[in-house]
Amino acid sequence: MFEGFDPTSSFQIFPFGIILFDFLFLLVAIPVEAYILNRRLKFDKRTSSFYAISMNVFSNVIGWVIFFIIERTPIFDSYRIGIINYILYNRLPENFSPTIILVGFTTFFGTLIVKFGLLRLMIISLSDPGDKAAEPEPEDTILLMRKSRRGKRVAWQSTSLLTTTLLATALSYTAITLVVLFRALTLANPQL
Amino acid sequence: MGVLKETADLLGLAFLFDFLKDTIESIRKFFVPPKAYSWQTLIYLSLFSWLMSYLADGSVQDIIAFFGWAFLITGTSWYTTDKPLYVPGTIMPVGAVITGGIVSIFAFQNDEQMIARTIIFWPTISALITAVPEFFEGSGTDVKTQLPKLEDRESVIALIGCCMLLSCWLNLYGVTDAWLNNYPSVKYPIYPKEDVKPNDLVTLFEPTDRNPTNGLLMLSKFQLALETKLNGKPWGEAEKWLKPRNLATNVQDLETRVKNNIEQQNIDNGFLEQEFWDLKLEVSSIDPKDPDSYRLDLFTVWKGPSAAKNGFYLSKSCQIAPISESIEVIGGRSQKTLFAEMECSSDKPTYTTVKNPERFEN
Repeated sequence: MFEGFDPTSSFQIFPFGIILFDFLFLLVAIPVEAYILNRRLKFDKRTSSFYAISMNVFSNVIGWVIFFIIERTPIFDSYRIGIINYILYNRLPENFSPTIILVGFTTFFGTLIVKFGLLRLMIISLSDPGDKAAEPEPEDTILLMRKSRRGKRVAWQSTSLLTTTLLATALSYTAITLVVLFRALTLANPQL
Repeated sequence: MGVLKETADLLGLAFLFDFLKDTIESIRKFFVPPKAYSWQTLIYLSLFSWLMSYLADGSVQDIIAFFGWAFLITGTSWYTTDKPLYVPGTIMPVGAVITGGIVSIFAFQNDEQMIARTIIFWPTISALITAVPEFFEGSGTDVKTQLPKLEDRESVIALIGCCMLLSCWLNLYGVTDAWLNNYPSVKYPIYPKEDVKPNDLVTLFEPTDRNPTNGLLMLSKFQLALETKLNGKPWGEAEKWLKPRNLATNVQDLETRVKNNIEQQNIDNGFLEQEFWDLKLEVSSIDPKDPDSYRLDLFTVWKGPSAAKNGFYLSKSCQIAPISESIEVIGGRSQKTLFAEMECSSDKPTYTTVKNPERFEN
């Protein structure tokens, strides 16, 4: 899964731009999501920033790891040369739109699920063990939801968590898409 | 010592003497363990283990070397937690970075990609090492686990995330580097620096060789294969081989043979990119008055991504002509037969960008 490189040979390539764009995407997405978490879930500012940072950074890491794994499989072989062509010379292959739409769709919903999981994990990680024992486990929510009013509240919280994650992810992806579109526009009209 | 001090005093160099003494004293303090239970002891133990592991062999060597690593890691982490110095702007002590590096080397020492793995995992391991002490409380003898305070937990989680992302970025360099190693010809042709539009996604550094090595290799193999195919063959046979209707399939056969040959020689560099090199042969007559000699243009065409929009090719020209040679036939009489003789220019192959892509369409 992890690539090696020959440290003795000279640098032939370094993905500065990809790293900077990744960083830029994080810089765009984190404030947007922090704002949404702060507004909708009523976390204080510091906590919502923390949730936004960890959700985005860890989902970014998970995304990269998935990419590194897929990159090694034969499925990727037919796309590799196209990606090389794109990152080196900004040339897109013909008929790429179906693939890119599929990849974008999967990425969006994959990110949504991962971010939702991460958010729950982060909420657990910030809670104290004493409190956790009092609260029902997430798996029991459906059972409890029918039994008690308190369960209803937990279930409501859970759905509201999911809707908030959906909203936050949708907005941050919109912002990122705008950045990507702006880049495409600049490439198309160099005088801009 | 006394004589030395007197001499220094006489020369008025007492300050130098004091300075030297201080330096020696601080060096001594650094190296000599103040008590048996200290970090210096561990470092010395690790050095000793290494020395021993050189003398030993087999599994004993591995065991002793393992202890050497363990002593070194605990020693450095002890020394660096004694007086933490933080990486600017973070909560990560420099000590954790150093210990992380050593742990990383230890973890990947048997890996063939040792240096690369070590560098890639260094940030992540350092962050984890930073996080570990947060979960313990107390001195070296009395340790109990604890859950860190809320703010500490937040910053430790954020730190681990950021360091993992750094590791991913380093690995991304490994991935792009591997791509260029597998497809080295995508960098070509190399234009002068001022003509190149800077790329915003990756930074390409100027390669050491200005010619695509794999293309040159293919071309020389192509020439060799063609020569073995045609040189010294009866002229009629050679001419038939070069007939337009046979040419495409014949060249195709040669291409397969050339590629198999390169694969058999197991040239790792650019092994994958062979599929993007195409061999082409163009036959034309040199002189209309002399229909019996032909000019052969040999091309290796790069079909993959390239700095030039339509790709580029390498070419070499040869010519083929019949020569007559007499052969002794049974009975003492000699008979004249025409043989093909192929000759290639010894010039360096030319290296051109494709102007009209239709020329090399299959």
